[in-house]
Amino acid sequence: MSEIPLPQTAKRVAPWWLMRHETMLAAILIVALIILGFLNNRFLTVDNLLNQGRLTTEVGLIALPMTFVIITGGIDLSVGSTVGLCAILLGYSWKNFDFPLPLAIAFSLLVGAAAGFLNGLVITKVKVPPLIMTIATLALYRGLAEGVSQAHSVRGYPEWFYFIGQENLFGVPAQLWLLLIAIIISGVALDRTTFGRTLYAIGNNETAARFSGLPVDRVKLIIYTLSGFMAGLSAFVLVSRVTTTRSDMGIGYELDVIATVVLGGSSIFGGVGTIWGTVVGLAMIQLLKDGLALTGVKGDATIVVIGAVLILSTLVASSLQRRRGGV
Amino acid sequence: MKLGLAAALLSATLLVGTAYAAEKRWDGADDLPVNPLACGAGEANAAPAAKPYDGGQPTNPPDKAGKPISLVDVPKLIGIGYFNATSKGMQEAAKELGNVTVKTDGPTEAKIDEQIKFIDNYVTSGVDGILFAANDPVAIAPVLKKALSKGIHVVGYDANSTPDAREWFVNQAEFNGIGKAMIDSLAKEIGEDKGFAIVTSTFTTPNQARWIAEMWAYAQKCHPKLKWLETVEAQEDNNLSFNQATTLINKYGDKLSGLFGMTSVATPASAEAVTKAKLCGKVAVVGLATPNAMKPYVNADCVKSVVLWNPVDLGYAATYVMRAVVDGKLKPGATSVEAGKLGKLNVVNGSEILLGPPFIFTKQNMKDFDF
Amino acid sequence: MTAATFARAEADPRRLFKALASQEALLAIAVIGLAIVVGLDNPRFLATRNLSDVLLGNAYIAVAAVGMSMVIVSGNIDISVGSLIGVLATLSGTLAVDGAPIAITWLAPLVVGILVMGLQGVVIAYLRIPAIVVTLGMLSILKGGLISVTGGKWITDLPDSFHLADIELFNILPMPVFLMIVATILAAWWMRYSARGRAIYAVGGNAEAARLVGISQRRTVVMVFALHGFFAGIAALLYATQLRVIQSTVPPNLELTIITASVVGGVSILGGVGTVIGSTLAAILIAEIASALVFVNVSPYWIRAVQGVLILVTVIADILRRRRMAGA
Repeated sequence: MSEIPLPQTAKRVAPWWLMRHETMLAAILIVALIILGFLNNRFLTVDNLLNQGRLTTEVGLIALPMTFVIITGGIDLSVGSTVGLCAILLGYSWKNFDFPLPLAIAFSLLVGAAAGFLNGLVITKVKVPPLIMTIATLALYRGLAEGVSQAHSVRGYPEWFYFIGQENLFGVPAQLWLLLIAIIISGVALDRTTFGRTLYAIGNNETAARFSGLPVDRVKLIIYTLSGFMAGLSAFVLVSRVTTTRSDMGIGYELDVIATVVLGGSSIFGGVGTIWGTVVGLAMIQLLKDGLALTGVKGDATIVVIGAVLILSTLVASSLQRRRGGV
Repeated sequence: MKLGLAAALLSATLLVGTAYAAEKRWDGADDLPVNPLACGAGEANAAPAAKPYDGGQPTNPPDKAGKPISLVDVPKLIGIGYFNATSKGMQEAAKELGNVTVKTDGPTEAKIDEQIKFIDNYVTSGVDGILFAANDPVAIAPVLKKALSKGIHVVGYDANSTPDAREWFVNQAEFNGIGKAMIDSLAKEIGEDKGFAIVTSTFTTPNQARWIAEMWAYAQKCHPKLKWLETVEAQEDNNLSFNQATTLINKYGDKLSGLFGMTSVATPASAEAVTKAKLCGKVAVVGLATPNAMKPYVNADCVKSVVLWNPVDLGYAATYVMRAVVDGKLKPGATSVEAGKLGKLNVVNGSEILLGPPFIFTKQNMKDFDF
Repeated sequence: MTAATFARAEADPRRLFKALASQEALLAIAVIGLAIVVGLDNPRFLATRNLSDVLLGNAYIAVAAVGMSMVIVSGNIDISVGSLIGVLATLSGTLAVDGAPIAITWLAPLVVGILVMGLQGVVIAYLRIPAIVVTLGMLSILKGGLISVTGGKWITDLPDSFHLADIELFNILPMPVFLMIVATILAAWWMRYSARGRAIYAVGGNAEAARLVGISQRRTVVMVFALHGFFAGIAALLYATQLRVIQSTVPPNLELTIITASVVGGVSILGGVGTVIGSTLAAILIAEIASALVFVNVSPYWIRAVQGVLILVTVIADILRRRRMAGA
């Protein structure tokens, strides 16, 4: 494939490790870790950090495709509801349709992808703005989860099912391996493929991207489908971790994921963002919550801090970027 | 054309909806067995057959008998009056005991996933004991078992987990006791041959689901002429609950003689709906609620009685149970435990400790409570 | 809508007016049509008592949607309004119980609402932080702050004079309905006929073009958020004064309901299009649907799914209608 001529305002001209916002954020993160580790000696232990990795996987898996979506200037608010729907269908199809469990898992992943596909389809063909479409599906998918489950939970899975959610592989939580693989694949895709470059092009100037001959609609369809699929994967990990299904699973995930991606430097206006930034954002929020809790800060004060951190770090990062001549 | 499509879609969904409309058990949706009590007045709690101990045990807990311990209390959520009250009871007990410190911390919304993360953090930080009220009995089990495996004592209250995930569970009242108290209270106020509706939080809240199932079983047995009309969900929002209750009143008109409120949000909201509709005295409101929230309605004679237990006592008892466990005074197989000013509490169902019969708040005794 | 077609519609105000008017008309038809359909199934739905209850119980959402619509028209979004309303309602109730003069208890939420939202507007406009980030952060700050300060305590000994929502003007018109109608009409008139109001559409539609004709985007955004805070304050008042007890918590999902009302009402997130009349009608429709679903015995498990389908259908229909009008 020939090189795609990018518009002048493209941000992706520097090597990835020089991206300003992410480096700044990583620095803040390291400082925060040191302070919190100093305040509580159980914080910086391998045991604790690995455990935090385990707990952060569900949001992390979804934050990866959400980075893609936000880079294109879109958004997906329905991911939390998709998690709930996939979780319910995993249990429901196993118990009520008598699917063998592996088939039930595959089925729920398929449903997740289909849910994302529907979002993508309406967004690209009918041209409903992503915010609106995904607000509607947020309600619809949650409603389907509630309707199908009729408030019943499905429990009692075989032992092997709990592996991904609760066990370790070579000393590292199993789901963390999954997350790491997903991070590497996403990072490579965003950074080194035409697909990734197309995302930035769409985010920077969609009309220009279209006129350049880029398959804008196809790419958008892919990322929304991916978003739904990862929500399904996240649901699988979640059910495995908590050993039951509930129709209220995943409520609020969308805000956690968006906070992660935005904190990581992706601009909500599109055209800017990296997987590395999202990972730092993910680590930041999770470790902050954990560190604060271990230091004795209670739940209500913690969310105030997280809210403030979100605003302040975006402020710091964007003003630094401006001073360096970006944006 | 689009409108036609929309109308077709709407009708289809409505049809699907109504197909599922007839719900058994009034939406006490958990398929667990029910155990209705005997009809008629008398002890609200029948003595259940003794069961062998079925709780979990910590692995190699450090011996802290008689020594100071630090506990954490992780309720379903923080920031609501009910768990403020349980927390208050815990602080009272801690003060009396002298060698216990309890801290209450938890999620700001009743989400099991958040609650698990809180408990996980406290396991890491190395507390001596965890008190909890679970958002989901099965989902909370893995993290509690992890706590037990690290030698941390685990005692539950208000909302149970699976028995093997905790050592003891302090039960405010048996589910069937609540079911009986609620149905009997309503039947007393409105009579036998009347219709009623239920306002609950969500169908997936375990305690509410069990209470409704037990209410159904007890009514079938002892008040078969009471006619159930509908159960609606109203989340935990006062105004939403009010709107739902008002809708019920408007929908059924004269057919509705009573409303059950299943949570401390649903009950005052239902009372408000009845007040606004000027139906005080004509539509009875019976429910579970904290006395503070019900003061205006009980004082106006709109609500005659509020069923609950004393959550302050519940927290108090849970702390004493934890202390007894750590001191080795409460071992598997015990039949009772000393709980400070509450006296001796009985062990039921293998590993549950019963607070006592439900407490009925009325106009006379309400002023003595502040939660 | 592409930039080109929007520019065309903008240039011909009558066309724009027609495009807007039909979403409102559609909603009005839906409100009336639904009432008739449900009434046929269960006549009790059409009782004056019920219809007025639906309006009274949900007027606060419509009022909040007026402010939210302005925010969305200007090209921004706000997800902190639910938490703010919880805080303002608690503030108002606490002042009332502490014996403050009733006028103060009613004014305080308005003032604080304007200040808090205005502050967010300043951060968004002058510090250039995207609205979603600021309001997401503010949502947590307000919620955590409220719980820290009040612990969710019930406010119960409210003086009778506090209950603004119970007042009936001329013994006929309940205050919530009155405020809803007045807020909608005043806001609609102002947005269409005053320079500052039209500036909101300009800024939302094409900020660069607006700047070139001398409209300050920054000042407009701050103004919009301040107004949004004002309407949120009124909504909080209605919310707080309706019941005899106030639960000092954040109403769950309120911001989502308000945004849905604006969006279903025809306000476009792309900015520059939509009216508050649409959002008020949509708020009424949403409330009516919630009541209707109970009346026609839709299984409670499927209620949210039905609502989701309705929102989806409305939204798709709206976009298709717009495209047909604009593309013609």
